[in-house]
Amino acid sequence: MLNANLINGLSGLLILTSLLVIETRKPRWSALLYSAQSMVLVLIFLALAVIMHADQLYLWGASAFITKVVLVPFILYRALSRVEEAETPQNMLRPAGSIVLVAVAVAVSFIVVNQIGLKSAVAFKPALAVSVAHFFFGQLCILTQRNIFKQILGFCLMENGSHLTLALLAYGAPDLVEIGIATDAVFAVVIMVLLANQIYRKLHTLDSSELNALKG
Amino acid sequence: METSFLTWLLFTPLLLSLAIFAARWLGRYMRPAVETIHLVSVTLVFVLALIVIGQVMVSGEILAINNWLHVDMLGALFLLIVGLVGLLAGIYSIGYIRHDLQIGEFDDLRLTTYYGLFSFFIFTMLLSVTSNNIIMMWVAIEATTLSSAFLVGIYGHHSALEAAWKYVIICTVGVAFGLYGTILIYSDAANVLQQPATAVFWTEIVKSAGLLDPTLLKLAFVFVLIGFGTKAGIFPMHSWLPDAHSEAPSPVSALLSAVLLNCALLIIIRFSIIVNDGIGPAFTQTLFLVFGLLSVGAAAFFMFVQRDIKRLLAYSSTENLGLIMFALGLGGPVGILAALLQTLNHSLVKSLMFFLSGNILIKFRSRSLDFVKGLLQAAPLTGILLIGGALALVGSPPFNIFVSKFLIISSGISAGYPWLIIVCLLLFMVAFVAFLRMISSTVFGERPSGVVKGDVNFLILTPAVILMALIVVIGLYIPPQLSTLLNEATKIVMSAHPAILITGTNFLQNASGQPAGLIQSMILFSSGFPAGW
Repeated sequence: MLNANLINGLSGLLILTSLLVIETRKPRWSALLYSAQSMVLVLIFLALAVIMHADQLYLWGASAFITKVVLVPFILYRALSRVEEAETPQNMLRPAGSIVLVAVAVAVSFIVVNQIGLKSAVAFKPALAVSVAHFFFGQLCILTQRNIFKQILGFCLMENGSHLTLALLAYGAPDLVEIGIATDAVFAVVIMVLLANQIYRKLHTLDSSELNALKG
Repeated sequence: METSFLTWLLFTPLLLSLAIFAARWLGRYMRPAVETIHLVSVTLVFVLALIVIGQVMVSGEILAINNWLHVDMLGALFLLIVGLVGLLAGIYSIGYIRHDLQIGEFDDLRLTTYYGLFSFFIFTMLLSVTSNNIIMMWVAIEATTLSSAFLVGIYGHHSALEAAWKYVIICTVGVAFGLYGTILIYSDAANVLQQPATAVFWTEIVKSAGLLDPTLLKLAFVFVLIGFGTKAGIFPMHSWLPDAHSEAPSPVSALLSAVLLNCALLIIIRFSIIVNDGIGPAFTQTLFLVFGLLSVGAAAFFMFVQRDIKRLLAYSSTENLGLIMFALGLGGPVGILAALLQTLNHSLVKSLMFFLSGNILIKFRSRSLDFVKGLLQAAPLTGILLIGGALALVGSPPFNIFVSKFLIISSGISAGYPWLIIVCLLLFMVAFVAFLRMISSTVFGERPSGVVKGDVNFLILTPAVILMALIVVIGLYIPPQLSTLLNEATKIVMSAHPAILITGTNFLQNASGQPAGLIQSMILFSSGFPAGW
């Protein structure tokens, strides 16, 4: 049980890092905090690999380290260095509001996960609940942040949540599946960053609320 | 041999896409080289798709690359749509993009990006249609978003970039729900299947669907419907669709509307087969009816207020996908068959209409109903085809959608949903008025000054003429091969109801074995009335 507690405890750390990614005012700091969060995710993968004797999770951990701890934060940090800090728009929600919504997401996720009768995840139900909640944190970030780079980070948080769910419930899937999902995730970030750069060059703003030419 | 054709079908557009990107460095030979490789790519995909469909019609299904790829009769129908619309949109692109080069909207860099991504987009859609691995299905659908995002925003205007951004964000977030549905089903299947390693394959999960946890199946299907429904443009997750469809170059709009939406729909159907096998069809049918009718209703009113031709057509896609979902919800062999026939019919008509909207853009440089007037004067053949296409879209005889809409109505009445059918018919009226207004506003009257008389060139018109010919032919006569394909695909979707399904029945042929058309659907309609009507 101690081992399962380690996983569940590390998952709790994900909540804290998520809040920091969402609420940090400077997007470049958010990118670094996302890297730290991804490191926690890698540790969870490694712990799961040991506890469940799932050797393929070592590969997942290695690929997550390369893509999420190093590559994606690097791409985001570099892109953010090129845009002016002064352009960073305000959030639509105060920090206290975000914390309340995060708490609600965690509570709902715990209730939902407790209703699910998945045998493979009995020992890791708290971690599973955190992973589902994490998915909603990402959505919360996308919905409440006006800075388009913060919206990309929201996608990254969401993706970390679904990646953890995948590791808890579908670690037995073929390696190629994991490679496909990781490739999609990296390319999604690259494409979003390229689009965000184009938007900044063309419209001189990072504020998503100014993307309002198309209506009806 | 069977498997090698399927493998080649999948990887040909991927390899040729890379070749197109590499052709960027060919200097003055770049343009002809890129166009040639592009044409070879779409033609090979069409030919290989036909070969694979032929093989499936002989052997029932094909599995390849250690069961990772799978095409059955249901997949073959969608493969036909990818191959055919891909080819015609590919040919149309040549003339359309040459015009964009002429007026300075495109440069060499954009040209290679466009054609390279076009083939890559086709590859991702083929992967989603042929994948047997349920998680790979999700990967493929996510890849379709990523490969087409730059195609949507390729013009680089304010509105194009906005559309591309919304497209990527909304679809990525939406489709992520689909991943949760997929993981839930995989995880449960891995627990109950004797060989957990096979739990990722759709063909294996279907065989053991009865063993899956009913609550999980319901939860997973809700996630799948929200996730892939976002990509299929179903209301209320449709908000990306009018922006992306209207801002993309017209051939891409055709691909998005006529092919991409169907790829997501196929995955929803595949998951519904698992759920129906596990817990019976009532749950999925109820959701299909609700989301389908809501989509038809919302889209009809959005169409009514549109002043932009391409946005109107985009909302019409939501209406039609909603109608297909509604027909799936009605269930029964005729309802399912009608849904599948409507899928094919809508793809043909909508690609025609987006091609014609491209012709209008070439002639008028506008999509606004307030500016585009006198199309019959300015571009007579485009004008006539637009009238025909609009009539086809609203379900008028002798065009193909009349047959599928008639079957939907008849199946709805025989399934005991007369009130829903009445609501549906009223909503059809709203859509009809929207198209009537579009036609009366654009086709007739005096053309604006500055718009030169004379239609677009032969290369641009040919794909539209071919589509119109197919639309009329399917409206009057369904070829036996297509009839067999539709019937066998219906049986796959109906696999959960062996008691209802009459083995060997051909729903589109009469007693003497003749293929059905308008008259046959009337007969089906009359025989479908329940007692008391």
